[in-house]
Amino acid sequence: MHGEYKTPGGKLVVADFTVSGGTLRGVTISGDFFLYPDEALGDIVAALEGAPSAASEDELAARVRAALDPGATLLGFSPEAVGRAVRRGLEAA
Amino acid sequence: MSVETAVGRQGAIDATVASWRGLGWQLLPEEPLAPALNVALDEILTRRVGAGERPPTVRFWSWAAPAVIIGRFQSVRNEVREEAATARGVAIVRRMTGGGAMFVQPDAAITYSIYLPERYVEGLSFAESYAALDSWVVATFQALGVDAWYAPLNDITSAEGKIGGAAQARRARAVLHHTTIAYQMDTEELVQILRIGQEKLSDKGIASAAKRVSPLRRQTDLPRAAIVERLIDGFRDRFGLADTALTPEERAAAEALVAEQYGTAAWTHDLP
Repeated sequence: MHGEYKTPGGKLVVADFTVSGGTLRGVTISGDFFLYPDEALGDIVAALEGAPSAASEDELAARVRAALDPGATLLGFSPEAVGRAVRRGLEAA
Repeated sequence: MSVETAVGRQGAIDATVASWRGLGWQLLPEEPLAPALNVALDEILTRRVGAGERPPTVRFWSWAAPAVIIGRFQSVRNEVREEAATARGVAIVRRMTGGGAMFVQPDAAITYSIYLPERYVEGLSFAESYAALDSWVVATFQALGVDAWYAPLNDITSAEGKIGGAAQARRARAVLHHTTIAYQMDTEELVQILRIGQEKLSDKGIASAAKRVSPLRRQTDLPRAAIVERLIDGFRDRFGLADTALTPEERAAAEALVAEQYGTAAWTHDLP
């Protein structure tokens, strides 16, 4: 599944994944955003891997937010933007 | 975790920029290099500046071959028509900074990198540091009669359209800030090679990616080399700048990093 969301005035977030047994699997998050440090991308992906496919945009965003280190900086996107890209992928299916 | 918005405090930006005069800046002039070597050099030079082995430095790039340089977090498949790129001899290289894909052809783009210790942007947000590190370019363009301004987060733009875009990374307590400016653009070739989805244009109010960009050549009669010279002069006038060259050790380290990372399929396809 594939979903995209661009934060107005910000950057594009792309979510690719499959759904198996009602959970997200094989999640990839990509886009033209800026993220410090690089390793924070792994935390975002880990937060989504195994998340229920019935989760709302806000629930997905909360998982991402909770997984990120206090020192991580998201530039041009947000946990909510990630949640919306995933939801769009789910809804397009 | 923090989410930054792109609102800047102009006073803080101006004060920081003013503090960069007399840091012993070194210039590395244009030299045509293979695309993977160009991006590897960015990492080597950033680390050397961070370690205090090299003073703050500005490097102007030149390309030995056409290439698509994708951002650190982009998916190759979503950004590039790989078969078309391969068929046309266009290399695909992943850089260390975030941001969007750029299609570069020799003599069509102007690219520069600035390497400086993180302490010289202390007190600025990431977003403010972008505006600060490109402020001398905007001022130089204005002096050339191009009505340019900075459009947060990371664009140099004009009434005619976007002129250039910047990206940053931080390593070893140093900042890498690099910017690519469109001098001229082969739009037909570009749309063959890059995929530009509708979602990316969703907040731009325009239908075509090509229309977003207005290369400098449409806005000034100056040839590319003259613009590069004016940019170097603009930097030198504001901050001071000594003419230098890459050391053999730096070149060898960058070549090793191409073999180990930037020239490998594993890195390029890190996000397939």
